[in-house]
Amino acid sequence: MDNPRSQNLSGKSRWKAIKKEILYYKYIYLMLLFPLIFFIVFKYVPMYGLQLAFKEYSLRGIAASPWIGFDHFKRMMIEMDFFRALTNTLIISFQKIVIGFPFPIILAIMLNEVFVPKYKRVLQTIYTFPHFLSWIIVAGICLNLFGDAGAMKKIIESINPAAAVDWSFLYNGNTFRGFLVGTDIWKEAGWGTIIYLASIAGIDPALYEAATIDGCGRWKRILYITLPGLVTMIVIQLLLRIGGVMDGSFDQIFNLYSPPVYPVADTIDTFIYRITFQREVAVDMGFPTAVGLFKNVINFILLIGANRFARAFGHDGII
Amino acid sequence: MSTIAKSTKQSKKPDKLIAPKGNRIQKFTLADGFILFLLSVFALSILYPFYNAVLVSIVPQQIYVRSPFMLWPPEIIGDSYGFVFKSRLIWKSMTNSVIITLVGTAYNMILTILCSYALTKPLPGRRFFRFLIVFTMYFSGGIIPYYLLIKDVHLMNTLAVMIIPTGIAIMYMLIISNYFQSLPPSLEESAKLDGANDIVILIRIILPLSLPLLATFTLYYMVDRWNEWFSAMMFIRTTDKWPLQLTLRQIIQDANFANTTLVPGQVKPDTYGDSIKMASIVVTMFPMMMIYPFLQKYFLSGMMLGAVKE
Repeated sequence: MDNPRSQNLSGKSRWKAIKKEILYYKYIYLMLLFPLIFFIVFKYVPMYGLQLAFKEYSLRGIAASPWIGFDHFKRMMIEMDFFRALTNTLIISFQKIVIGFPFPIILAIMLNEVFVPKYKRVLQTIYTFPHFLSWIIVAGICLNLFGDAGAMKKIIESINPAAAVDWSFLYNGNTFRGFLVGTDIWKEAGWGTIIYLASIAGIDPALYEAATIDGCGRWKRILYITLPGLVTMIVIQLLLRIGGVMDGSFDQIFNLYSPPVYPVADTIDTFIYRITFQREVAVDMGFPTAVGLFKNVINFILLIGANRFARAFGHDGII
Repeated sequence: MSTIAKSTKQSKKPDKLIAPKGNRIQKFTLADGFILFLLSVFALSILYPFYNAVLVSIVPQQIYVRSPFMLWPPEIIGDSYGFVFKSRLIWKSMTNSVIITLVGTAYNMILTILCSYALTKPLPGRRFFRFLIVFTMYFSGGIIPYYLLIKDVHLMNTLAVMIIPTGIAIMYMLIISNYFQSLPPSLEESAKLDGANDIVILIRIILPLSLPLLATFTLYYMVDRWNEWFSAMMFIRTTDKWPLQLTLRQIIQDANFANTTLVPGQVKPDTYGDSIKMASIVVTMFPMMMIYPFLQKYFLSGMMLGAVKE
């Protein structure tokens, strides 16, 4: 029990005390009732439905479907498209971390050096704006700009007409992942700076003053004051990113990709969606459930691990 | 005395700045110029695609085809916007999106506030309830069981499927809960002595004290609901129940869609494909463009709270 009032009592009197407390908090329980119903219906009932991963789906419902053990998982192990999706998910996530992760940090440090508050605010407004748009809008703009008749192709054509002949941002497997990383930076890097700017604001200004008096230039102040002040936040953010590698940014990829780039861009999430709802292959509902379960279990382990480490760095453990 | 007061006032000033630094006393250097240049280039690279989208939506298609890269519109026409606004489907989708956003946000906020306030109380079983809720951040049933659930509870093909299952964003709820917890408990205690119950305390004392924070998360929920498309794609079968985002997706991804469905009976001039796509995009992001610069403070403060609260 959370409440110390009922802790030291024993037996009957303890139950009485708890009952009294429950009565005391009756309105609070009433408030909690609706949120709890929501969580049970829309979060826990689907978890109950996970048993489908070990069943052959029948139209009579999940409970009435016959158990088939690990058949779906066995099929998963021989499904090439599944492994393709798994490796793609990991590769794209790690590329986004390696290339995209340092971006907001550098941006925040640079923004912090801007000494005209008004211009800084304008920049911040521009940088953070795309975060609030859906990937449908961003993808629509990208498809137009980078499409085969778009402005980018025209620019390349004017620079190097020979290279432009079979240049393609959207349908070329070699460059498509880079395109995903780039658009991700474009949309989210500005938003990522906010958390770092908040940490920089928390650094004691006396440190900067002392350093300036001691003759430190800008570069040294960044290197010896700003960066050390950011290290904790950087580590926490990195851990949280690593914890999320199995989440394959469905919205982005689903709105940008096309069959020519499936080999490099089909992630677990898009794979599940395609085999279930676009019926490109006829499968039993249990199979995508099994793939989803596989993903969620790994995701769960990674998140818990990342959270444990982040807690060691002073994060309060909420992702 | 007055000099001391003055000097403390002055020394306090730098604390207020976002970037308390010594470099204000220094001169503008080459490095400053370089940083400003890089930052401005990045800002332009974010702005240009939007600008380009607007340009494509207002210039005649034959000009766009000849020179897709434009800095200035050589000729302005409003045909694409005329076509978009003539579409019954676009108006219908917009109405749906507005309904979903308003009703959905109200529903989200009510559930979120109830949950966050309840979790601040040391009631028996609190740790269990908290665990039950936070656990769903780490683990979920996945999309197939969710799909079957929606089918079972008869939310298929209703606007409610974009509202009811959205419920509570746990992250927002936890931040609000932390904030409620940080309010001085003496306020509540005195109200309790006056005979107020928890519901009255929440409405009359806690909520008025948290208005800026609630404004922030109301905005977040509004953006989330306005951007809703995935559940619509999965669960909505008839086009007149589509939200704007899904209609937009169809216009962008399906080359024939604008021709056949957007304005029935009127065939889209063949050459306006890109123009109509971009016009629809501009229309869809227009509300966001209008409110964001003015309400930016609220948008950013939510993230700051999430970052600094530890």
